[in-house]
Amino acid sequence: MENRYKSVFDIIGPVMVGPSSSHTAGAVAIGREGNRLFGGVPKKVTVHYYGSFAQTHRGHGTDYAIAAGILGFTTDDLRVPRAPEIARQRGIDIRFVEEEGQSPIGHPNTAILDMSDGEKKAQLSGCSIGGGAIEVRDIVLHGINIKPAGSLPIVILVDFERKLNHERSLSDFLKLKAPFKEKRIYKSHACYIYEYDIQNYFKPDLTGELRKKYPHIICL
Amino acid sequence: MYNHIKEIVADSEKTGKPISELIIEQECQMSGLPREKVWNKMKYNLETMRDAVKKGRSGNGVFSSTGLTGGEAVKIKKYIEKGHTLSGDTIMTAVQNAVATNEVNAAMGVICATPTAGSSGTLPGVLFLLEKRLNLTEEQMIRFLFTAGGFGMVIANNAEIAGATGGCQAEVGSASAMGAAAAVEAAGGTAEQSAQALSIAMSNLLGLVCDPIAGLVEVPCVKRNAIGAGNALIAADMALAGCTSVIPADECIDAMKKVGHQMPASLRETGIGGLAGTPTGQAIKAKIFGEDA
Repeated sequence: MENRYKSVFDIIGPVMVGPSSSHTAGAVAIGREGNRLFGGVPKKVTVHYYGSFAQTHRGHGTDYAIAAGILGFTTDDLRVPRAPEIARQRGIDIRFVEEEGQSPIGHPNTAILDMSDGEKKAQLSGCSIGGGAIEVRDIVLHGINIKPAGSLPIVILVDFERKLNHERSLSDFLKLKAPFKEKRIYKSHACYIYEYDIQNYFKPDLTGELRKKYPHIICL
Repeated sequence: MYNHIKEIVADSEKTGKPISELIIEQECQMSGLPREKVWNKMKYNLETMRDAVKKGRSGNGVFSSTGLTGGEAVKIKKYIEKGHTLSGDTIMTAVQNAVATNEVNAAMGVICATPTAGSSGTLPGVLFLLEKRLNLTEEQMIRFLFTAGGFGMVIANNAEIAGATGGCQAEVGSASAMGAAAAVEAAGGTAEQSAQALSIAMSNLLGLVCDPIAGLVEVPCVKRNAIGAGNALIAADMALAGCTSVIPADECIDAMKKVGHQMPASLRETGIGGLAGTPTGQAIKAKIFGEDA
């Protein structure tokens, strides 16, 4: 059994603006991970919906939820329902597409975010597994396709120096502070990417500690 | 981390600690947070639930933007006040609290997902009824939520808690099973009785489909929480009376998972089958989103 739910607050919680934990709170979470992966709010986002998300996004407020997450809002932020309007005012272009057929990541609550800002591009495929919890099963970053197991947290380090000593130092650090189930190394001519599937939620302050040590680290 | 109900029961029997205590310890260990922080986080969730119940049954109640749901918690409240309920004031008070919470949710108000937003009325339905009936202290109410959440984690990790993957049995069914187990502890029952209550409650809602009209978390979701709360109290009472489930709790959870996977997609939160597929359901969808939707 894989423990997709790691905290009692995944079950009693989140505190959120209604109406759906999977299609609203989970959608906020997918948007937030998109924001984290991109390293801020992208200028242009195309959201591709599959399955139940494609069928019922309008009724569940999934659109405003994803927009809210992209803006960095939390699930209980009262601005969540007004997020598309706020995004428009900030000059952010968010579009939603209902795709037909099966989700490429094999879950009925799937949203794929195509994010860009000029040359900068990233893609995140997330699914909402229930109760507000999500998984990230596919990422495209610097042209490299990353395939995490899905369950959060996920740690990603992009290494433009392409020296594996960064990977070794990060692996040692994580083994000590946040044990991981799996590590994947991706190589291209431009960079190396190291991806870690972390076992439990981060202990308090660990994200800060990681950022201090590795300024460009991405923690989903 | 507890992977099965039987491990929680065995640990409780071995250590003499209530389930809630074991779950608090598990949370502190897994999160690295001190006990006080974990406790206060749950207290905040409890307060959110209390505010939602209060909001839903005050004045004329709350109404969703579609007009499909709202105001019925207040109707139930006034009906109870007349003193002629058929199923008793206890059940109807739980129903009133459950409906109030889900009406707030449908109106895009703030709620606490337990385990989901669509099923967010079931636990508060039971909890705020027990507060009155058993004179629960705040500490007991917070413990109720840890017990419910601990059992809920086992359900979520072994089966599903999303309507899209498991049907409504995974949402209201899970919430009802969690509520039944926690109600037993609040009433002074044993861990084994909590597991029995979970089994009975889950078995009674097995096969419940997720068929929201127009894909909205309104119809039938709001009223399904009424049955979730009522069913939790019935299952808890049966377990406290010494009734047992022939099928053990962990096997009931497995059965729920399998039933969910055997459900066609049209009955898993797509707004296509069940009540959503009726002529009235389809007409409402067309009215809200236009004919081409």
